[in-house]
Amino acid sequence: MLLTERLVTDVLLAALSTGGDFAEIFMEDTYNTMIRMINGTVEEGVTGRDYGVGIRIFQGMRSVYAYTNDTARENLMKVALEAAAALADTPKVKSIVLARMAVEKFNPIVLEPRQVASGDKVGVMKRAHAAAFDHHEQISQVAINYLDTDQSVFIANSEGLMADDRRVRTRLAINAVATKGNEKQSGFYGPGRHMGFELFEHLDVEEYAQEAARIAVTMVNADYAPSGKYPVIIHNGFGGVIFHEACGHGLEATSVAKGASVFAGKLGEKVASELVTAVDDGTIPNAWGSQNIDDEGHKTKRNVLIENGILKGYMIDKLNGRRMGMEPTGNSRRQSYKYAPTSRMTNTFICAGQSSVDEIISNTEYGLFAKHMGGGSVNPATGEFNFAVSEGYLVRNGKIEKPVRGATLIGRGSEILQKIDMVGSNLSTGQGMCGSISGSIPADVGQPTIRVTEITVGGRKEAN
Amino acid sequence: MDIREFKDQVFAAGREVGLEDMEVYVSRSKDFSVRIYQTEVDDYTVSVEQGVGFRARFAGKVGYAYVEALDQDSIKLLVEGAKENAQIIDSTDEIVFFEGSPEYPEVSAYSEELEGVSAEEKIEFAKSLEAEAFAADPRVSMVNWSTAGYGETEVYIANTKGLEQSYNRNGAFSYVAAVVKEGETVKTGGRFRFDNDWTKFDATKQAQEAVAEGVSLLNASSVKSGDYRVLLRYDVARDLLSTFSSVFSAEAVQKGLSLLGGKLGEQIANPQLTLVDDPLLANGGASAPFDGEGVATKTKEVISQGKLVTFLHNLKTAKKDGVESTGNAFRASFKSPVGISPSNFYIQPGDKSYEELVKELGNGLIIIDVQGTHSGANAVSGDFSLGAYGYLVENGEITRAVDQITVAGNFFKLLESVEEIGADLEFGIPGYGGNVGSPSLIIEKLAIAGN
Repeated sequence: MLLTERLVTDVLLAALSTGGDFAEIFMEDTYNTMIRMINGTVEEGVTGRDYGVGIRIFQGMRSVYAYTNDTARENLMKVALEAAAALADTPKVKSIVLARMAVEKFNPIVLEPRQVASGDKVGVMKRAHAAAFDHHEQISQVAINYLDTDQSVFIANSEGLMADDRRVRTRLAINAVATKGNEKQSGFYGPGRHMGFELFEHLDVEEYAQEAARIAVTMVNADYAPSGKYPVIIHNGFGGVIFHEACGHGLEATSVAKGASVFAGKLGEKVASELVTAVDDGTIPNAWGSQNIDDEGHKTKRNVLIENGILKGYMIDKLNGRRMGMEPTGNSRRQSYKYAPTSRMTNTFICAGQSSVDEIISNTEYGLFAKHMGGGSVNPATGEFNFAVSEGYLVRNGKIEKPVRGATLIGRGSEILQKIDMVGSNLSTGQGMCGSISGSIPADVGQPTIRVTEITVGGRKEAN
Repeated sequence: MDIREFKDQVFAAGREVGLEDMEVYVSRSKDFSVRIYQTEVDDYTVSVEQGVGFRARFAGKVGYAYVEALDQDSIKLLVEGAKENAQIIDSTDEIVFFEGSPEYPEVSAYSEELEGVSAEEKIEFAKSLEAEAFAADPRVSMVNWSTAGYGETEVYIANTKGLEQSYNRNGAFSYVAAVVKEGETVKTGGRFRFDNDWTKFDATKQAQEAVAEGVSLLNASSVKSGDYRVLLRYDVARDLLSTFSSVFSAEAVQKGLSLLGGKLGEQIANPQLTLVDDPLLANGGASAPFDGEGVATKTKEVISQGKLVTFLHNLKTAKKDGVESTGNAFRASFKSPVGISPSNFYIQPGDKSYEELVKELGNGLIIIDVQGTHSGANAVSGDFSLGAYGYLVENGEITRAVDQITVAGNFFKLLESVEEIGADLEFGIPGYGGNVGSPSLIIEKLAIAGN
């Protein structure tokens, strides 16, 4: 981080020279590692460094963004003036006094990945491979990806904020394929944390690998899921992706500020079953989506989104906060300096309720138990979502009858929230990469096991 | 630092630490985009960026590294990174550093007229997208996207075997999406356009099509679950082809991840269907004279009248299969290792218009959008189950809109059960999976889940 305060001030003032009322510099220096192993053989290893600066200017609700890899003074001044040229007014801000912000670092890093030998990283991958491959004779392929990233950021703005942060994340992605005759099915697990290589002291690598293999084997031996509209039990952990997609995105100021969300204008109203309390919490130490500060330099927070079914809050960034007349909530995030930040989720989950998983299943006469979810997507304007079920079971007469594959869940987020009639006590989280307009960012999803009275299940067989 | 000078310094530093073959893959790009909200410029982004991907052989194995800043620190990072990464590789696949093709095709992928279109013209275009969308129908409650932009990229590849080539490509895009509202019902309609001919951008047409689609869906409801004869509109057929394009990759075949393995020369699709990979397409979004390894590109049929003719190869997979590279080596960016991707990849159009296909469908469903192709589709098995919407067709006429359904099937069966191919070929957004295009297709039957 080699920008002097003098240079930062000069660049910010240049950015404000045409009437902008706020300017911000985001500088990033990131080291990445990716290692790919297929069937126990390391096929690719890539290390690299992302390095650049993004400059953002506001004038009222207008936003201008420019970025570059060249951080020499002349170039930064040039880029700031080029960005400023998009506005055409007289300067409003004439001086800036920067004050370094004390950032509380609550995500301790013990083993910096860059100091760990590549061989040790490969060692973890080999353990995962062996555990998955040996799990069952039907496992025909195992692909393991190892990823680490060490991002240093420096953020300064014309209000005087000056802060830095370091985000170290480590992840192992395990994909197992099971084959039976001509058919292939896969199982996936991708544990990760805002943590260094010490992640693997906390993580039972073998257990995750066996789970991925177990899912693949279960699914290759499963029949197709019946289609129709019926009760669905969504298991804990990554099952929270349904809340993330179907509701979380609609609670981001990006959609709310312009009224493009079904949740816009509904603060204080009942938007979900009273069993539902949901939060976005960027302050959980070492969680995948945690950060000491967000990408505008605000401290991350625990934000209650829904409490006992009542809509309590949104996730808000600075620009959309202006539009909404509300304060930012520490949710402004971006993939890299190549993106202007906007309101995004951090670690988002439905809070624990009262029921046990056994109770939920035994109280379900007929339904789908979605034990593992794949990904999904949503149209925030209409709330219409879709999700793939990567491990499903048919429930009949309160018992799990048999595994089923190929199920897709579709519906509207706002309707599903009202139809949650049982919430388990077993809250857990899963890790995902969330893609939206400010790029792809790490986010935790989570929930306890929940039951929804009915969801349209797409499959390939008639329900019976 | 000039890129050629930087390359020379990297190669010199590499030799010092014992690296054998070395290669740089450089991309430099300039981008601009503008988004309008309520007649004002809401977002305006300009960028200039570059990146250098480096790969090198050390003790027989190849490692990768990349940087974005062209300074002395970066040279060290590249050579040491690639050397360390080479040492963990245990794959025995032979990686070829290519000395260059005898000749390279002429490809038109860069338009100087397009480069000359000013930022103001694009701002005006985006403003008229918004205005035209509002003007198109009183039920438009907001226009949540009206955006236009431009990008240009220069790709440069050079290695220690003597290869040194470069090309330029540019393109413009526009997108409009409108939210329409009637009572409590909310629907959206959007239209995207990508081209490197600015005269092909028509704000009125683009906005009206987006709004008309949103409005047409206002009274949508589900249908009864069951098997339906289906017309996949060109954009849906294209999404499916794009989702499953990896099944044609020789890498997937060699790893046992494509069910097309062992089927070269066999009939895998309806005899009407021909699938083309054409990197030389004039102004195509993925047109290029050479691929990610510097191999000259060429046009080929992948499926010819239903028969599988070839897989898509890079040098590594070609060597393994004892064939020539098809020029489909692909680097998603300078950060990515060499993989395989189609270029301009499309189903050859037939001669029936979309309207004729609707009549031909008789009784069935038209699918105009599918959601969840990244999660609800399995490229290994070919199975898909996706959220969808569209229209119900009875006796050759559209009778109502349909939503809250899923469409399920299998890609390989779908290729066999194509009954009609339209004339309305359109390409989508060029991206990591190439630039994919399809006309509308009638499919004998697909499983629909509704109520």
